Formats: sequence, structure tokens, C-alpha cells
Amino acid sequence: MTRRLTWPHRWRMPRRWMPYLFISPFFVLFAAFGLFPLLFSIVLSLHNWDASAGLGAMQWAGLDNYVYALTRDDGLRASLFNTLWLALAGCVPQHLVALPLAYYLHTAFRRWRNGVVGLYFLPFITSTVAVSLVFSALFSKDFGAINAALRGLHELPLLGALFPSAPIDWDQAENTRWMIAIVVFWRYVGWNTVLYLSAIQTLPRDLFEAARVDGVSERQTFLHIVLPQLRPMIFFAVTLAIIGSLQLFEEPFILTSGTGGSGQAGKTVAMHLYTVAFTDGDFGTASAIAWLLFLLIAAATWLNNRLLGRQR
Amino acid sequence: MSTLLPTQAGSGRAVPLSGWRRRWPLPRVIGHAIVIAGALLMFAPFYLMMVFATHTNAEILSVPPPLWFGDALRDNLSLLLERLPFFWRNLGWSFYVAGAVTVLNLLLCSLAGHAFALLDFPGRDRLFAVVLATMLLPGFLGMVPTVLTMAWLGWLNEHKALIVPGACGALGIFMMRQYIGSTVPRELVDAARLDGCGEFGIFWRIVLPLTLPALGTLGLITFIGSWNNFMGPLVVIRDMDLYTVPLALRALQGSGQTPWGALCAGAAVAVLPLLLLFVVASRRLIDGLTAGAVK
Amino acid sequence: MLLTCAAAGGVSAAPVRLTVASYPDLDQALKLALPAFARRHPGVEVNVVTLSHKDHHTAMTTALAAGAALPDLIALDMDFMGKFVDSAGLEDLSRPPYLARSQESRFPRYAWQAAVNRRGELKALPVDTGPGALFYRHDLLARAGLQEADLTRSWTGFVDAGRALKAKTGAYLVAHAQDLKDIRIRAGLADGEGVFFDRQGRTQVQTERFRRAFELALRARDGGIDAGVRAWSNEWSEGFRRGAIATQMMGCWLGGHLKRWIAPGTAGLWRSAPLPEGVAAAWGGSFYAIPVHSRQKALAWELLQLLALDRDQQVAAFRALDAFPVLLSAQEDGFLSEPIDFLGGQPARLQWRDAARRTPALAIDRYDPVADEVVRTELDLVLLRRKSIDQALADARATIERRVRRRA
Repeated sequence: MTRRLTWPHRWRMPRRWMPYLFISPFFVLFAAFGLFPLLFSIVLSLHNWDASAGLGAMQWAGLDNYVYALTRDDGLRASLFNTLWLALAGCVPQHLVALPLAYYLHTAFRRWRNGVVGLYFLPFITSTVAVSLVFSALFSKDFGAINAALRGLHELPLLGALFPSAPIDWDQAENTRWMIAIVVFWRYVGWNTVLYLSAIQTLPRDLFEAARVDGVSERQTFLHIVLPQLRPMIFFAVTLAIIGSLQLFEEPFILTSGTGGSGQAGKTVAMHLYTVAFTDGDFGTASAIAWLLFLLIAAATWLNNRLLGRQR
Repeated sequence: MSTLLPTQAGSGRAVPLSGWRRRWPLPRVIGHAIVIAGALLMFAPFYLMMVFATHTNAEILSVPPPLWFGDALRDNLSLLLERLPFFWRNLGWSFYVAGAVTVLNLLLCSLAGHAFALLDFPGRDRLFAVVLATMLLPGFLGMVPTVLTMAWLGWLNEHKALIVPGACGALGIFMMRQYIGSTVPRELVDAARLDGCGEFGIFWRIVLPLTLPALGTLGLITFIGSWNNFMGPLVVIRDMDLYTVPLALRALQGSGQTPWGALCAGAAVAVLPLLLLFVVASRRLIDGLTAGAVK
Repeated sequence: MLLTCAAAGGVSAAPVRLTVASYPDLDQALKLALPAFARRHPGVEVNVVTLSHKDHHTAMTTALAAGAALPDLIALDMDFMGKFVDSAGLEDLSRPPYLARSQESRFPRYAWQAAVNRRGELKALPVDTGPGALFYRHDLLARAGLQEADLTRSWTGFVDAGRALKAKTGAYLVAHAQDLKDIRIRAGLADGEGVFFDRQGRTQVQTERFRRAFELALRARDGGIDAGVRAWSNEWSEGFRRGAIATQMMGCWLGGHLKRWIAPGTAGLWRSAPLPEGVAAAWGGSFYAIPVHSRQKALAWELLQLLALDRDQQVAAFRALDAFPVLLSAQEDGFLSEPIDFLGGQPARLQWRDAARRTPALAIDRYDPVADEVVRTELDLVLLRRKSIDQALADARATIERRVRRRA
């Protein structure tokens, strides 16, 4: 619309400028604080830089860093595998649990809903440093509660066969990954539940009433009525989950004390990036890896958009 | 829920269950049990952290670790304050920074979300793709350029350096666009426009009240994200009395002997405001919904 | 004295601020020195900025990279010296006005050389060190009929003693086979040689030295003498508490930790011995450097002198905080002959001083942490998956050379 609307006595900004005004804060801030780091890291990825030597020590390297990262960096390949593994094992269960949980909390819990949601949300707000201490105590091989619980479960008559008989050494390569996946699940399932719950609660009440009157079972209401309505929120939550899990750094870093665990099984791409930058002292290659990761996340997000994004 | 009256025996109709059994059928009991068990599992590590806050290092690192509260809380707190004499100030700074970032985000992100969701303008989709793309950028490589920028602006060692760059986050815009786009009815907006309401008026009077639940959620996650952020403060803050809480707690970790009891005590203190915020925000989430139908 | 105080008070209106960045527990030693510093420089406010060990070095790397947000005095750990010592952002203390090269003879060689880079520039001064010792449970060894010499005479003897100990008492001799590798690769090195790289930067992992170290670790694992627990984990400290682990080779400061919180109940049962086969190594060590961008270089230099060159300060830190002094004259203090109760009255500090004197001045390479990580990973594969040692060392070399390809 190009019609100019004016209130009496006051000049009104042309309506066609309003959208740009509304989105300008983001772009102004981005231009001021986001653009420079972005350009810097692009430039850096084409150079060889030992950071602690100061800015003057950059040397041109062309595409060497990218070539190295794509062809010779075994650490990157291994960490990519770890990251994808963790994305699936840590991330997928979160949503599979959070969705029905949110629905159940909405429909079945009345009085204690806030309290229960709060308990599920607690992991998200606890500081990671304290969490690492607690989990290292819980996952301790000989003395941890988790191994003790598994031992107890092994004693069960029928299901016991599913559980291991010897205490699991969570420091070992494959087990470390499961440990991280469990902690990531623990930390974020509540967050997803809150997201989905807030979305479910915006659904009109008549929707549920109508379903109940029609005699539709809870399960069917959930699957065929609620779930499709939640599609925008699912898209949002899954996008965040994709981005978050491909960039996963904090939990594996803290749980393995920065080492990646034995056999580097717990090392994610972001951790590998950190190691290349701060241990190997190679900021140039680290920047190249960061951009490759960006491309990967962009591709995954685009794919997600095609699958779940709503056409408007 | 009204209880059905029992019918005459022999009339052919089934006798319904009595009150209690009707409200608590077996599936519901199992469902509740699972959910509550899950909640307790979620709570367990947090509970352990609180317990550790009341024990000495030797007790914490022993076997089995303590499961009930001890009596070293006072000692831990005094050790905490001895190592971090500015801890209360650090809490205050965390509040200030997180609060400012949250308020700014709520305002600016919903403005941008409104534009992307409800307005049609050239380049809209492309610009939104750019917004999304910035969310994918990796974090800590920005550390060095950030220091350079802040040094150039003279904002080193000041909290502006933490607030301003994060004042309008891409995540918030994404979220608000999703929410506004799917819950604000177009007819309402069009009607308002026809009535001659300015765009900002539409935003302030119509869209904002309808998006309170999303604002609550966004406010919560923004606050928590800012509160827990330590990379930013790590590179720009240089005085201990200006630290935010995560940085301060991490400063307790030395080589070898970390005072875990003191650290857990500090972490427990640091998590209380977040808990409180969640309680307040979740109540608002519920209230925001029951306050007025969408239509 | 009064005159200078008055003059200082009259000239400056605002107090002069000196910022020192450090990490626990080194900051305790720093705070211990502040009263003495305040007496010499009244009106100077020292701002101590503490961050966790890792965070501190990350923040300093970033600050040096950007040339901004730098303190006036930076604490550096031995592990990171290889990287920071090449930095153009740190003052060369051998130049005027510092002229610190004359102080070289006051320090053990290895501590001094760690602060000197390839171009001969002196970038920092050492303030403490951690000479290595073998802490062992005297009573457990006695129960197995073993003596200290059985552990220290030879590595073969060490492993055999471990087997005997396991058989007779059920205790493990070492916490992890990796510890043995760590010591063994440092055996027989002379001044100027590096652990993982030689002076020219060539990788040294495919040498006899490493092969022997890997074999030793494997023999220990096969002999069942290592508990497979990581240092500082719950199992590790509990192992000491329960007498399940009988020895630990580490910096001499471990004694303090054992006494204070790891296993206070075992007081009197521990002894300290030199490392096996006469190896002398140091665990850690702290340094301080002055950034080029500092605006208080003169004052920073004053504080640095107090921390590094003042005998009384070093002894005070030793007494109060268990920080082994790096200054040779401080190592002559009578405090070192005092018996240590926790070690059954053994005057072990003398032994530690001797270890410090024998420690060779190894060449530190900026890529040492990289090599250490790679070698550790490969040894894990050998121990857990039975990878062949030759293959492991060859792979280690290939991986290291890949990651250090940027070597200037």
C-alpha cells in the first residue's frame, strides 16, 4: 500500500517504510557487532594465524585450510560422526518425549502442572559447572548411582537380562557418548516440553471439547488433531534442535573435562574447533572448520524448512 | 465434572464407577506415575547439587556421595565469599545484564517478528533468511574481533559490551515471527488498518497483548541464556567486581582442588532467581491464555 | 621513606591501579605478597583478577591476539609456556630496563629455560615449581614385603613389585598405566632435548624411548597392577582413601592435597621417594609475564621482582601454601629440613630440592600439548584394543605431523 495515511497535525511515516523500521534494530546491531566478526573469520580462514603472536602474524594461506579440513583432518571427520551421533541419540528422544509429555501435562494435570513443569525445566537453568560435578559423581564407575541403579535393575526377574551385569566404565569410548547423550537429553527435554506446552495452550479450548464430545480417544486427539496444529512450533523447536545439536559444545566439553574422552569419542565438531584454535594454536584452520560447519547447519536447516516449514 | 447417578439395578444400563475410580482410571494413574517419576529424575541432579552445597570436599568426593544435607553450608558460603568477595555484586550484575537484554529483546524482536509475519514488503523473505543465517554462525571465533570492536568503542570492561550486541537476537525474531504468524488473525489486523490505525499502534495494541504467552517464553529463555553466558564476559570483563555469576563460579576452579562445596553453594544461590523467574513467567503464561479468547 | 610517601601522595590524585590476571591457587601466593608490595608502593591499588585455569589462558590468548583487554601482569602455567613464550605481545625481560638475564643463576636451569624462546628472548620469570616425587604407602609395601628400593631401582623391578603387592595385599601399585608412560618418556633426556620434539621441531615419538614407555605401560596393564582410574576422579581419590592404590607419581604438592582432602585419614602412612631409575621431572610450574601493552610496566616489574626474586616471599608462600620455591636461595631455607608429619616425619622437602636440581632443562615446544594428547590416545588404543605398539607410534607420528604442519 502506498497510500499515505496521516493523522491530523502529525506527519506519519509512509506505511511502506514501517516494515524496514521495525526490522532495522536487528540489522543495525548486526552491522555494528555481527558483521565485523563474520568478515574477520572469513578473512582468517584464508590465512594462517598463530593468535598469541598478535595481529601482525597473519600469513596468507589461500584455500589451504579448507582443503586440509576437508581432506586430511581425521579429527574433523571423527568429531562430525560424534556430533551426528549425539544429534540423533540426544536430540530425537527429547522431542519424542516432550510432545506427548506436553500434551499429557496439558490435559491430565491440573493442580500440580506448574510444579511438574518446573521440575522438568530445572535442568535447563542449572549451571553447567555444578552439573558436571554432579554427573561425574553419578556416572562414577564403581561408586556412581547410575551404575548402582543398573546393577539393581539387572536383578529384576524378567527385564534384568536387558541390563548389563558388570559396572559400565563411562570413561570408555562408546559409553562416553551415551553418557553425554543422557545428559543432553536431561538438560533439554524440559525446555522442549515448555515450548510445546506453551503452543498447546494457545489452541482453542473448543477443539478439545469438540473432540471429547465426538468421543475421540485421547491418543487420537493427540495424533490427528493436536499434532497438525502444532506444526509451526514443531518446526521451530526442531530447527533450534538441529542448530543446537550441531553446535553442541558445553555439555561434552565439561563432561570430558575438555579432552573429548578416551578415544575422542565425545568430541563434537565445536570442541574440535576449539582444540584446533586453542591447543593447536591454528586459528585459520579453526575458522575454516567453523564455516564448513555453518554450511552443514545451513543445509540441515534448509532441509528442515522443506519438510516441516509451513508455506504462507 | 458431575458424577453420574447410579441407575436402577436391572434396567439394562451399566452401573458407572464411583467417584474416585472414575477420576483415576488405570491409564491415568500409570501416566501420572511415569510423568512424576520423570520429574523426580530431572530433579535428582539438582537435588544432589543442593546437597553437595552443604558438605565439605572430602565428603562430596567420597563413596557413596552424600544423599542428605550436611552441615557445612555456612563454611562453604564463607569460603565462597572469601574467594569471590564480590559475589553478591556479581549476582547483581548478572541480573542487570540479563534483565536489560531480556527487555530489549522482547521489544525489538516482537517488532521485527511483527514485520516479518504480518507485513508484506519487498525483500522480506530474503531478509528473514539472513536473520536465520546469523543464528548458524559459530560462537567463539568471534571472540577476538569482539575484543577489537569493544576496544575501539572504549566499551571494554563495561556491561554495555554485553547488553548492546545481544539486544535483538535472531532466535527471538524467529520465535516471534512463528508465533505472530500463526496466532494473530489477519482479519483483526486488516480491520485495524482500515480503521486508520498506524502500524505501531497495531503492534502495541493488538499484536502484543495476543502474544503474551510467547513473550513469556521468549523472556524466560532470553534471560536464562544471558544469565548462563560466560564467553562474552570472559573476553570483555577484566575486573572481578564486574564479573557475572558464571564467570565468578568458574573462577573457583583451580588445578587440582576445586572447592566443590562452595561452588555448589554458589550455583544454588545463582539458580534461585531463575527458578523464581520461571514461576512468575509460567503463571503469566497460564494467565495470558485464560485472559481472553483469541477470537 | 616518609619523604617519598608524601611526594607520592601529593603527585597522584587517583590511586594507581595495577591489574594482575591469575588463576587459583596461584592467586593465593599473589595475595600473600600484596602486603609487602603495599609497604613499598603505598597508593598503588592491586587489582587481582582470577579466572579458572583454563578460562584464564583462553582469555589471555584472546587478549594477546587482539592486543587489547590486557592486564599489567599475566600468570602463565608451565603447560602453556610453549605457546606464550613466542608471543610478540610479551615484554622481553632481558632488555632494559629489566635486564633480568643477570638473574639466571638464581634459578634451576629447567625453570629458566622454559621462559626463554628460540630467539633467546626472556619472556617471563618463574615463581614456583613442582619437582616430581613418588608418593607411596609405606605400610602396604611393608605388608607385601617390599621396600622403597624395589620401586625405584628399575622399571622392571617396579612392575614386579606391583605384582607382588597385588598378590599379597590386593592393592594396585599405580592409578593408571598412562602415568608410567608419562614418566618413562622423560627418562634419559639431557638439557636442550625435548620430550616430543627435538630442537628442530621433528617429531620424536617413533623412537626407542617411546617404544619402551609403551611397553612398560602395557606390561603394567597386563600385570594387573594399574587401577585404570583417571587422576582427580572420584575413584582416584577414593582409591587413596581406601588403600586400593598404593603409589602416585606427581608433583610434590600432591602431599598437601593428600593431607588436606584426598586421604587425611592415611596420615603417617605415606612416604616420598625419588622417581624410578633416577628420572627427574617437574610437574607444572608458574610464571609471570608483562604484556607490551601494559601502562604500568615499571610497577608490574616491581611486583614481578617481589614474586620471583625475593627469597623471603618464596619461603612464605612455601610455608603457607605448599608452593615449592623456584629460587635456589629459597631452597636453602631451614624450612626444608623440617620433618613432614603426614609423611611419617620424613624431611621430604630436601629430596624434592634434590629432584629440582637434577631436573634437566628440557626444550619446551609449543605443540607439546598436541603431541601429549595424540600419544595418550594411541596408548589408550594399545591398552584397550591391543593395537600393536609399532602401529600406534607410527600413527601417532603421522597425526602429530599433520597437526603441527603449520610450524613456522
